Amino acid sequence: MTASFEDADLLREFAVESTEHLAGIEHQILAMENAGEDADGTIVNDVFRAVHSIKGAAGFFGLQAIKSLSHSLENVLNLLREKQVEPSGPLTDSMLRAADKLRDLVGDIEGSNDVCVKDLVAELDELAAAAERPQATGGDKASDVIAVETAKSDVPNQPTSKPTASASSMTEKSDSPEAVGPQSSAAPAGNNSSTARDGAVKSSKESNIRVSVELLDQLMNLAGELVLSRNQFLQQINASPVEGLESVAARISQVTSEMQDAIMQTRMQPIGSVFNRFTRVVRDLSQQLGKKCALHIEGHEVEVDKTIIEAIADPLTHLIRNSVDHGVESPDERERNGKPETGQVHLRAAHLSGQVAIEVKDDGAGINVERLKQKALDKGLITPEIANNISDRDAYRLIFHPGFSTAETVSDVSGRGVGMDVVRSNIERLGGVVDIESQPGKGTSLQITLPLTLAIIPSLIVRNGNSRFAIPQVNILELVRVRPDDFKKRLGVIKGNEVLRLRGKLLPLIRLDKLLRQGNAHTTESDAPARECDSRLNILVVESGQQQFGIAVESLQDSEEIVVKPLSSLLKKCTCLSGATILGDGEIALILDISGIAAMSELNPLQEEASHENEGGTSHLDELQTVLLFANAPEDRFAVPMPRIARIERVDTNRIESIGGRKLIQYRGNTLPLIALEECIQADPPNLPSTVFVIVFAFSGREIGLIAPTLEDIHDVDLALDTSTAAESGVAGILPINGHTTRLLDIQELANAAIPLPSRQHEDDWEPARSESEELPFRILFAEDSSFFRKQVSTVLVGAGYEIVAFPDGLKAWEGLHELERPVDLVLTDVEMPHMTGLELCRNIKQSERFAHLPVITLTSRAGDADIEAGMASGVDDYQVKMDQERLLTSIRKFASARDQVAV
Amino acid sequence: MSTTATLSSTETQYATFYVADLLLGLPLSQVREIINHQDVTAVPHAPPFVRGVINLRGEVVTVVDHATLLDLPQSDITAKSRTVIVNWDGDQVGLTVDSIADIISIPHSEITPPPSNINGADGRRFRGVYTTENHIVVIVKLDDLFASYIN
Repeated sequence: MTASFEDADLLREFAVESTEHLAGIEHQILAMENAGEDADGTIVNDVFRAVHSIKGAAGFFGLQAIKSLSHSLENVLNLLREKQVEPSGPLTDSMLRAADKLRDLVGDIEGSNDVCVKDLVAELDELAAAAERPQATGGDKASDVIAVETAKSDVPNQPTSKPTASASSMTEKSDSPEAVGPQSSAAPAGNNSSTARDGAVKSSKESNIRVSVELLDQLMNLAGELVLSRNQFLQQINASPVEGLESVAARISQVTSEMQDAIMQTRMQPIGSVFNRFTRVVRDLSQQLGKKCALHIEGHEVEVDKTIIEAIADPLTHLIRNSVDHGVESPDERERNGKPETGQVHLRAAHLSGQVAIEVKDDGAGINVERLKQKALDKGLITPEIANNISDRDAYRLIFHPGFSTAETVSDVSGRGVGMDVVRSNIERLGGVVDIESQPGKGTSLQITLPLTLAIIPSLIVRNGNSRFAIPQVNILELVRVRPDDFKKRLGVIKGNEVLRLRGKLLPLIRLDKLLRQGNAHTTESDAPARECDSRLNILVVESGQQQFGIAVESLQDSEEIVVKPLSSLLKKCTCLSGATILGDGEIALILDISGIAAMSELNPLQEEASHENEGGTSHLDELQTVLLFANAPEDRFAVPMPRIARIERVDTNRIESIGGRKLIQYRGNTLPLIALEECIQADPPNLPSTVFVIVFAFSGREIGLIAPTLEDIHDVDLALDTSTAAESGVAGILPINGHTTRLLDIQELANAAIPLPSRQHEDDWEPARSESEELPFRILFAEDSSFFRKQVSTVLVGAGYEIVAFPDGLKAWEGLHELERPVDLVLTDVEMPHMTGLELCRNIKQSERFAHLPVITLTSRAGDADIEAGMASGVDDYQVKMDQERLLTSIRKFASARDQVAV
Repeated sequence: MSTTATLSSTETQYATFYVADLLLGLPLSQVREIINHQDVTAVPHAPPFVRGVINLRGEVVTVVDHATLLDLPQSDITAKSRTVIVNWDGDQVGLTVDSIADIISIPHSEITPPPSNINGADGRRFRGVYTTENHIVVIVKLDDLFASYIN
């Protein structure tokens, strides 16, 4: 009995090892074909060795079919190795098919002997024979003999072993005399098998061990538990500090985090293991379709959780096949369109802020928007009104619509629709998102963003009544806070559904409490609206698939890395939930499933576009700037722009030291210089409470803290600033906020005034772009519709030694550009402007012969990924956030020095 | 030795508990543990018989109101209320019951088919009944209880 157990173990080992060998082979065979005559000997040798070890071990186990096929494959490889034959199309085809077959056989070892491999064996042998006469006759015969033997021994084998085959394991089979019989009859191959094992020993000299996935999963779960216990422990310690225990707690906390990372790392695999198979897919498919395609893979090495690797294979295959099948045109057509006849398909993976971004891109025909819309119209997915108003980008997203995908004749349109909703739902199930972009005639790109792991996800915790819920960060685009005063301006009702007005767009708005109450028969809905009127509304703008919408929540809490726990099957009908997690205090938070909520609420993503046209008049919202409000002394309020803030710390007042008339604190082993407002500008001195907040800003790699005794709020303000009344250095303007006069601070000026850093004066790059006597100053065209920003940014730039030509909108800037006597060196533009937006201006510049060389920097109050993407698509060279003068100056300096270098 | 063997094959141990006026018995082998009632986290859009979820030593366990499952009015939580943690379908599920009674051994042969109505509950939901001098123990099977809601 023990013997057979060992055999079973060995056999399993053989299967695992052979599968590994075979996984590499396909890639290598293709590499051989690409290299052609110059094929690197080592690749052939590697493949040969792999096949050889499979053959040897198969012989040992009496696996005839595997053995004879690997033997024939080995013969062909041997000829390749001795350069008696070149890796050509048909040869590669046969080898690939043999490798495929071997993989099938190894996948079902127990049934492998019942599979007929004669045809493949004969095919390979013929190739070998044709390539090399004298040797081939020998080799040919030998393998024929084995093949025949296999066939023969299979015949008597079948009736005897079949009855047991289904019921018993392979172990018994290899013990059985029938199985031993053919092995001994294949004695000539026996010699090889010993060398094969030698080879195997050599090649497996790595510092790796195999661990079962089950064990890793278990470790992962335990690590999750540890993280939870750690969090609870830390909360306890924080609540009632015990001397001496805090440092231990900190250590435990750190080790736990590191251990969790390390365990997660064990489950990470390079994404290349999925990507590599696509070389073959593209090759086969393009051959089949008579197209020429080259697949370029980037980011093999990007590591992703095993579960994700397994789950993305199918959606990716679909996308790649689509690219070849429907994206890339036939060689003739490509030639007619002036493209190289070989189509390029790019498959890229990259880490992107804790997520993985995968892109499948082709340089094919792109998608015909009009036909797509027509199809959607025919299908009744959109109304003609929507079709006219919908943006191209949203039109492309129609292909993810389930109704669209089921269309039978989609290939007429683009072919891309088939199964795209399945791709989308598969990716969303993994907590990812998928998006599409296409340019007619230039190609199509599909972008997938996935979490690195499914087990632990960064989430935002929100509160609703007594319950807390977690929303995966991957779904969250931004947070919007609407004050009661702004309700009329920003909220509306269209066709009975609430909407949020956001930067000229209308988004469906879902109230979390209402959504969650719907399913709860116990409570009534009547009390809801009354309560909401008197407090401001926190809205999370989320994205699921192609739709964006707002979720209004009662309050926001922490951002946490949560460990996902599945919900019982009793709760599988709760489509708005994707799981649960245990928070640091031991309470449970349910995880909201954003796509589930979208489906439940039956949002129609397209409605918003059409209604948008009817609304309009919201452009002034574009100049909203988020500011943090604080009071230095009671009734003395200040605001600082949020984008400038690096972070906010809370410190004990007695930790603030005063050295040489300057305030500072020791902080994380460094000294953080502090600004006390009353020492820099006209301000009432505060009565410092025992702890104060320090708003930390970063400048040229240095940090400066601003003492903020009481934080009040975060507020969106319309920057219609009164810049004249505050003729004070360090104050950018005065804002009325909630009836209080509030001074908006100019952090840069404040920092310069308060802390003239000695190091700063020596820094070369801090020096203004001084004009050499014969050299003209660097000239910048600046388009900005807000007079406040126009003035402010201009002042900063002029101060830095640049020459500025400012315009109040894109159109004027575009006209001005043509009329200027002396050309400008750079264009700096706001994005949202009347008459011509910054992006349109940029497109015009980039498309004109005369100005295409000009670098364009866009300046905006928001910098979401989507905005940056849109900017980049228009050809923008750099993207800077308003109010962050430091980085803007750095960016301009970069372009300025580039110009100077060109000039020299 | 041989007596235990014969015993175990002819009788089964049941954990018994009260739900409304019913004394219910669940095979002990399915019961993992019995805990005091603890506050649940409500689950929106859950079936009506689900009270919510609790954190049981790091596991998220769904708690079901046993009375609601039998179409009886939901149990009020009292000091005697307990949650019976059972294994079901690879999951742990908590059943809220009004109070806990004994663990008893019931010979298979003594279990009789349920009457059509037992103290207001539909007899078809049960596997059978076991009558002692003072009580009727109603034998429940988890699969039966959940089946109608799951499918």
